[in-house]
Amino acid sequence: MSEAKQKVRVAFFDFADCEGCQLQVTYLNEAFLGLLEHVDIVNFREAISEKSDDYDIAFIEGSITRKHDEERIKKIRENAKIIVAYGACACTGGVNGLRRHYTDEEAKEIVYKGREFPLEAGRPKPVHEVVKVDYYIHGCPTNNDEFVKAVKGILLGKGYTPPSYSVCVECKLKENVCLFEKGQTCMGPVTRAGCDAWCTSYGNKCYGCRGMLDNPAEQGQMDILEKNGYTIAELKQKFETYNMCRMEAEKNG
Amino acid sequence: MRYVYLDKDNLGKFFDLLKEDYKIVGPVKKENKFVFAEVEDVSEMSLEYIPTILPPKKYFFPQKEKLGDFNMGDTKMSQTSIEMQPTVIFGAHTCDIDGIECSDAVFHKDPADPYYSKRSKMITVIGYECMFQCDDCATCVTMDTHNPKAGYDIMITDAKDKYILHVNSPKGNEIIQKAGELLENDSEEKIKSYLVKLREEKMKKFKVSLIANYNELKDIFDGSYNSKIWEDVGKRCVSCGNCTAVCPTCYCFDIYDDVKLDISGGDRTRIWDSCQLKPFAEVAGGENFREERSSRQRHRLFRKFDYSVNKYNKFFCTGCGRCTRTCMAGISLIDTVNDLTKEKNNV
Repeated sequence: MSEAKQKVRVAFFDFADCEGCQLQVTYLNEAFLGLLEHVDIVNFREAISEKSDDYDIAFIEGSITRKHDEERIKKIRENAKIIVAYGACACTGGVNGLRRHYTDEEAKEIVYKGREFPLEAGRPKPVHEVVKVDYYIHGCPTNNDEFVKAVKGILLGKGYTPPSYSVCVECKLKENVCLFEKGQTCMGPVTRAGCDAWCTSYGNKCYGCRGMLDNPAEQGQMDILEKNGYTIAELKQKFETYNMCRMEAEKNG
Repeated sequence: MRYVYLDKDNLGKFFDLLKEDYKIVGPVKKENKFVFAEVEDVSEMSLEYIPTILPPKKYFFPQKEKLGDFNMGDTKMSQTSIEMQPTVIFGAHTCDIDGIECSDAVFHKDPADPYYSKRSKMITVIGYECMFQCDDCATCVTMDTHNPKAGYDIMITDAKDKYILHVNSPKGNEIIQKAGELLENDSEEKIKSYLVKLREEKMKKFKVSLIANYNELKDIFDGSYNSKIWEDVGKRCVSCGNCTAVCPTCYCFDIYDDVKLDISGGDRTRIWDSCQLKPFAEVAGGENFREERSSRQRHRLFRKFDYSVNKYNKFFCTGCGRCTRTCMAGISLIDTVNDLTKEKNNV
């Protein structure tokens, strides 16, 4: 019975992002040690210096922007059995999606104000716009409880499907006072749950970081926000913060 | 069973006496709302309150509840022992007591739900009668839940200079016997007629907002299945599930297993579910019986005014007004039921 257990080889890769989601993993503490009994981490720039191209599961953080990023993610797709889009930038394009409002020149001008910038500026895409994604772990940043749940599901072979319902469901179960009843607004009603109403349970509002529901009542939500005194421009902005890539894709059919 | 007076100044002492034997949960302020929460002192409670965000149902049937552990290979799950100390729900409104009676009907029906039953045995309900209407969302008069009837151990009624306590169960009687010195006796006839007078007075402060009366409600729903009104409601609904989460009679739950990483076993949990969520009525193959928000909203109200009457001989709307109060989209039970009533009357 002393047969050596074959551990699953796991790699983390980052693209255009702040690396905050990878940092979340390092906060896992004890749960991390539990996971390490079952996985070998072979690539994880945030925590180790070793590198390897031999891995089973690749966690992709960040949105894909430039040509050589596309080549890199395609190579990772070839190497990995399973690709997990990890964090908002990878899952939906995240805040990076707002870059799509501008041409390369406009974006460079806004950021660098006439200074020379020799690097290429790309067009941010969620990972699934470039390669096939097997699983999604949403959030900006990701929530560690959900991360552990998802990783367990993936390791056990049953995978992980994030909830299809809204943040309100989890928020109400915690008996939080609804922000709309305090004269504030919140993207909870149209945002995918799975974070256990993390922000709203600690006095913040929901910014919609986990992306819009698959089947949102956009008109219903617009009516709610409008009723609370928001202009159409402000409403558009609220939706775009984390959903720009998807909104553009839907507009273009 | 019996009626006694409690001097208002003695409420604190009565509370402290209860505290010797029970954990006490009562209505407390949370920002601009109220919630049931554990209280250490009578002063922490706000007895005059608008119905709490979640009803006291959460003590009988918690939002998330572990059902048991299992080991791989075993065919039986070890049932989790429910550790709940004897608890008094203090200050429950009559609408919420009606809600508890609804969930009792559901969970105690054969086969009884062991988790619910175990918690239920640990709970004592001390009600607090509403002497005025909490707000315009409530429809308790039409639903006939504005006056205490049954379902409590003790009911406290504010009789201006003192409280009247109606003792309605052996459990309630035990408490009253212990509190003997704090109480004042009078003839049952006298107290009862005083209560009748108080309730006549209180009725002047209650509003009836539903056009239909209690006896007409079932008929209105019987003919409304294909009404266009559901489409209008469906258009506004964002499927946030707030209306079902706050409902004192919604009892649907989902069950999931959490398996340990070494696959040696795991545990099983149940969590409140909602018919307003799209996957609720989805079955294998992707077929969904209630794909549209309109049909989900219709289902919710049919569960309150139609199906429940057929199954339990009881309306499952307590008139507490929570669903109307909580809906960001302004979907009002009063408006919907009134629209259906008008539609029926026009035909």
